[in-house]
Amino acid sequence: MSTTMKIENLQAKIGDKQILKGLNLELEPGKVHAIMGPNGAGKSTLSKAIVGHYDIEILGGDITYKGKSILEMEAEERALEGVFLSFQHPVEIPGVNNAYFLRTALNAKLKHEGKDELNAAEFLREMKKHLEMLGMKSDMISRSLNEGFSGGEKKRNEILQMLILEPEVIILDEIDSGLDIDALRAVSEGINKMKDGKRTFLVITHYSRILDYIEPDYIHVLKDGKVIKTAGPELVPYLEEHGYDGIEED
Amino acid sequence: MNLSNLKNADAKEVAKLLNSSGREAFVQRFATLGLPHKKTEEYHYFDVDKILNKEYKTLEYVPKTIAEGDKVKIVDGIVVTAPQGLRINYETCKQLDIMHFDPLYFVGHLLSHRIIKIEIDGDTDIEIEHHFTKSDTLIHYRIVLSTQANRHATVHESFVSKDISNTLVLYGYDIHVAQDSTLRLVKLQTMKDAQYSMVASHKINVARNAHMMLKSFDFGGDQALQLLKVELAEHAHIDAGHLLYLNEDSKRGTVSQIIHQGEYSTSKQEAKNILDGQARGIFDALIRVEHSAKFTKAEQNAKSILLHEKAYMVSKPQLEIYIDELEASHGATTGQLDEKQLFYLQSRGISHLEARKILVIAFANTLIEQVKDTRAQERIKTAFEEVFYASNTNEG
Repeated sequence: MSTTMKIENLQAKIGDKQILKGLNLELEPGKVHAIMGPNGAGKSTLSKAIVGHYDIEILGGDITYKGKSILEMEAEERALEGVFLSFQHPVEIPGVNNAYFLRTALNAKLKHEGKDELNAAEFLREMKKHLEMLGMKSDMISRSLNEGFSGGEKKRNEILQMLILEPEVIILDEIDSGLDIDALRAVSEGINKMKDGKRTFLVITHYSRILDYIEPDYIHVLKDGKVIKTAGPELVPYLEEHGYDGIEED
Repeated sequence: MNLSNLKNADAKEVAKLLNSSGREAFVQRFATLGLPHKKTEEYHYFDVDKILNKEYKTLEYVPKTIAEGDKVKIVDGIVVTAPQGLRINYETCKQLDIMHFDPLYFVGHLLSHRIIKIEIDGDTDIEIEHHFTKSDTLIHYRIVLSTQANRHATVHESFVSKDISNTLVLYGYDIHVAQDSTLRLVKLQTMKDAQYSMVASHKINVARNAHMMLKSFDFGGDQALQLLKVELAEHAHIDAGHLLYLNEDSKRGTVSQIIHQGEYSTSKQEAKNILDGQARGIFDALIRVEHSAKFTKAEQNAKSILLHEKAYMVSKPQLEIYIDELEASHGATTGQLDEKQLFYLQSRGISHLEARKILVIAFANTLIEQVKDTRAQERIKTAFEEVFYASNTNEG
């Protein structure tokens, strides 16, 4: 199996508590990997470790992306290399115009790739089509970043960023939490639009609901800081019925 | 002139030193308050001794014929140009606030035998530009600014200096916002180099049903303090906002007293402070609600961001309340840039330095955008970004 990202024996802590205890995971290019597991298993910690969150202290192991370790890279370098996290709880930033933020992020990426930056008019044209697809009101891009957005609007805004930045590894941390059925459908449509057989998805979720819309290729069960089982999508109904307790380690 | 000669002087000596015969009551009040020093409460966090214990040259204030211009241009305390139709006169000040808390308010008045009186009698926008051209000089002048009833005016104030050093500017307004009128005063101060120190001591009377909006944007260097005393009559309102950006070892800020005297008067005061280097910011603000001011609303808030471990902010929001029938709130927070917000921006490929700039500018913009005039707003944003970017070109 070829690998986009390889996580080997990853151990990490937040504060004094070790959360990841030798986690191994390989992400195959173009595939959708779903991570499921009980509360406290380390799902969000894994996503934070991949993007270089300041809360996380790596104790051991490695994360390699395109064959290179990324552990020493700053968060922005990982992002520029194509790693994207859709946050479970996107922060509100009063005073930062959403469109300005999105254009700054896109231009940082274009510059990193040696391409021409977009001016405001070009950017707005580019963004308009995404807004329509996500069912976002046009005034959301002129408002302050995530300020006063509902839970659903924040998640749509995360997907908008994903569509604009076109990352290669996309981590969706509980993208389905707090979404009504229409928002879930719109968000899923945005995600499916990005499934082109090249991009890799890591979908972190508690529930199988999102997986009805985004068909996963692999299900990984995370428990007590380790991946204890990897299987195909057929594992989802089993987990629905039996929960995580009945899962035996591979 | 050395202002430190006024230290411990009695009324007779003060009158002689300031050549202010015939103004005994003001002299007496100043003598009672005494020359401010580092233990004076209002100047406690400001290096007042440093600016008062100096020998300054003094100027002859001889009014000139005022030429027609697009703005009120005041050069070293003398009005040089003014827009056509604006009434400006020099006269003896008759409406001095004998109970002002600031000793230098009295020094400014006692030194300035004639004040510049500007009467705004229409719905208009005025630009006042202060120019300072003399080094090692004490420049002092007072301006009386008044609106007429039912009129709505905006005053944009800015400061220009070139190639000067060691000058002290002692100026201020006595503002009278007439009944049912509105005055918006937008003050922008940027000094790229430490060229002069300033003490701006103001008194603002807001009459019945009148509105005052005061927005000060101070991105200067060296030392400056603005001292405000505001009195609100029945149904009067003030909306005061102060944005401070300091760097290096500058010491600047606001000391204010907003006094609710009339029923149903309202006040909103918001300070945002961004401090870098070894700068010290001051926001020492009192809102007092007197017995006569039932059913008032008073809101006061100060937020400060420290960008350097040696930067220091003095935030003292205070409420002094003598009645029960009111709504009042106040608060102050001081901290660093929000780590979660910084990380969010970085996680989208924006560099740490750029993310920091974006957040600081966003913090400032929430106050700048309260200036509704878009041209003025853009001018202030540009001024802030110029000063901020100039001192944040590298990772600190």
